[in-house]
Amino acid sequence: MSQTVTIDSSNHLKSLVLERFGHEPDDLVQQRLSAAEQYFTLDWPRLERTPLKKRRLDDIPIFSAPLQPKPVAPSDHALIEIRLDNNYLTHCIVPDALKQKGLILEPLQQAIERSAVRKLLGTLTGKITDRIGALNQALWHNGVFLSVPANLNEPIEVSIGHHATDEVRALIMRNLIVVGPHSRLVVTERLITEASANKMLLSEATEIIVQDGGQVEFGAIQQCASHVEGFIRRIGQIHQDAVLDWNIGEFGSSLAVSGHESHLAQPGATTRSTTVFFGSSQQHQDYTAKSLHQAPHTTSNMIARGVMKDRARSIFTGLTQIDQGARGSDGRQKEETLMLSDESRADAIPSLVIDERDVYAAHAASAGPVDRGAIFYLTSRGLSEEDAIRLIVHGFLAPVIDRIPHIGLRDEVWAAVERKIRE
Amino acid sequence: MSTPVLEVSDLRMQIEQKTILNGLTVTVKGGEIHAIMGPNGTGKTSLAQTLMGHPRYTVTGGTVRLDGQDVLALRPDERARLGLFLAMQYPSEISGVTTANFLRAAINAKRGEGNNIGLKAFRDELDRVMAFLDMDPTSANRYLNEGFSGGEKKRNEILQMLMLHPRVAILDEIDSGLDIDAIKVVAKGVNSLKGPDFGALIITHYQRILDYVHPDFVHIMVDGRIVKSGTAELALELDKKGYEWVRTELAHQS
Repeated sequence: MSQTVTIDSSNHLKSLVLERFGHEPDDLVQQRLSAAEQYFTLDWPRLERTPLKKRRLDDIPIFSAPLQPKPVAPSDHALIEIRLDNNYLTHCIVPDALKQKGLILEPLQQAIERSAVRKLLGTLTGKITDRIGALNQALWHNGVFLSVPANLNEPIEVSIGHHATDEVRALIMRNLIVVGPHSRLVVTERLITEASANKMLLSEATEIIVQDGGQVEFGAIQQCASHVEGFIRRIGQIHQDAVLDWNIGEFGSSLAVSGHESHLAQPGATTRSTTVFFGSSQQHQDYTAKSLHQAPHTTSNMIARGVMKDRARSIFTGLTQIDQGARGSDGRQKEETLMLSDESRADAIPSLVIDERDVYAAHAASAGPVDRGAIFYLTSRGLSEEDAIRLIVHGFLAPVIDRIPHIGLRDEVWAAVERKIRE
Repeated sequence: MSTPVLEVSDLRMQIEQKTILNGLTVTVKGGEIHAIMGPNGTGKTSLAQTLMGHPRYTVTGGTVRLDGQDVLALRPDERARLGLFLAMQYPSEISGVTTANFLRAAINAKRGEGNNIGLKAFRDELDRVMAFLDMDPTSANRYLNEGFSGGEKKRNEILQMLMLHPRVAILDEIDSGLDIDAIKVVAKGVNSLKGPDFGALIITHYQRILDYVHPDFVHIMVDGRIVKSGTAELALELDKKGYEWVRTELAHQS
């Protein structure tokens, strides 16, 4: 049985940080201690439609004693793969030829020994504004550093896996991904946990930097069990003529406060995002996607579709922001939600903030119940109601899921949808 | 298989406490084509949807039996698997689901587990029926009814009927909004099923489709029940004299 600790004071937290992370480079330790101090002064994120008070997040023993790693065989997801199981590195496979070209894939804890990596870490997540941010910065102990060198001709495909057994009480991680000029990366992150009777806190902060002319497809599929209270924040910075595509499938955990943010920082930067979410039982999903146009001639296209059943609840907030001076930019978003039960609820909240005249911006949003007339129509041909709903859900999600370019991820998203329908 | 019999007896139905069907009786046997005619708002579409089991309608009395089985106790999908079919006046548009995939799922639902139709057999049959109905074969790959014109939707209903081989089909205003050429195609579809294994109940406001699908029986429906029955002659008489004639005649009777 593992020991777990509930933190009750700032000094207590700081001593735990020193005990666990004191060996790290000094500047990082200082950063952690400063975050630990803020942990008690800052509150959990204040979300208009997601009250966190009654979830008693403070009662989750986040500082667990080390567990045994549970060795798992490498998957066949990609040639290049890193796996972290119960917070331990279990696999890290990079072909020698790519290593020689300068590709780096390693646990972030190892990478931060180098000052260049430490300098980049946190540049996109920025100042800590709430307790989950403080918690992540103070206690992250897991995550990946991936650096793709410039001018690789072939697209690089990388799989990142995070796995937790039922004993894990906290998964607190940071990922840092840097893609050099004119290289292409397809990276897929998979979050999976075993079910447990006790709550687990998940905190992920991912930063992606795509340098000039680079092209990145970032895919992620979250299938945590229902004891997980999750906070996921992913931010991409897109340089000149570079592209960052997000393909996100949100299916698991009890609470999921997640989102992705694209900083279109230099002219010609492009981002596209596809988000698919499916809530069942009493899941609560609060997703925020942001496209921030900070430079001229930048393009964004955000698409999201979600299905809610049982008593699940979702909020999808989309923000397209075009700063003054970002002329010639084009920002679009569209979100749609389908509710399969009277008890489920879905809000789609699009917003545009435009400070430049010479731009194109558009948004559309809808949330509605499944069409009872359509169900009658399909059942009148002999399909069971269950099959009719499955067909309708498939039809609703297909245009979005089939946009996911990575076939492996697309199939996994379909499989997750299929499972959620049956659930 | 024996000849089908659909027996509707003294059927009563309400929507939100308003009586729509008020003791309707009709029997459709295999080999027979029945037409139910009536003015707008008399409950014709409600009758069709009630027979198929739309959850919006509450049956308050009477019975419906298909081959002796109590239809009212069954869900719409069970009624369909028993051999009942409803060609709807306003078919739903189902985004993201192609007509071909849907039809295959429907056929397999009817055939039951482990007895699925092979892809090639299905495709061949689909191509054959679509050619028969002068339909563009690529339209089976379009999403079901999405963006279809009124005529395309009606044709698609007939396509589904021919693919599913029902024992008794109810066709609700299948002729509304169609030009004569389209009506001929629809009629050709219905006539192709004619035989002892198939009965049809054609619900219509106008007589003209009956020029192409010859009815054995014509019933006039007013205020939720059948007030007059006869042969094809009755439809012609009605066409000439109008529904006012029926109302006047009813008034005289009472």
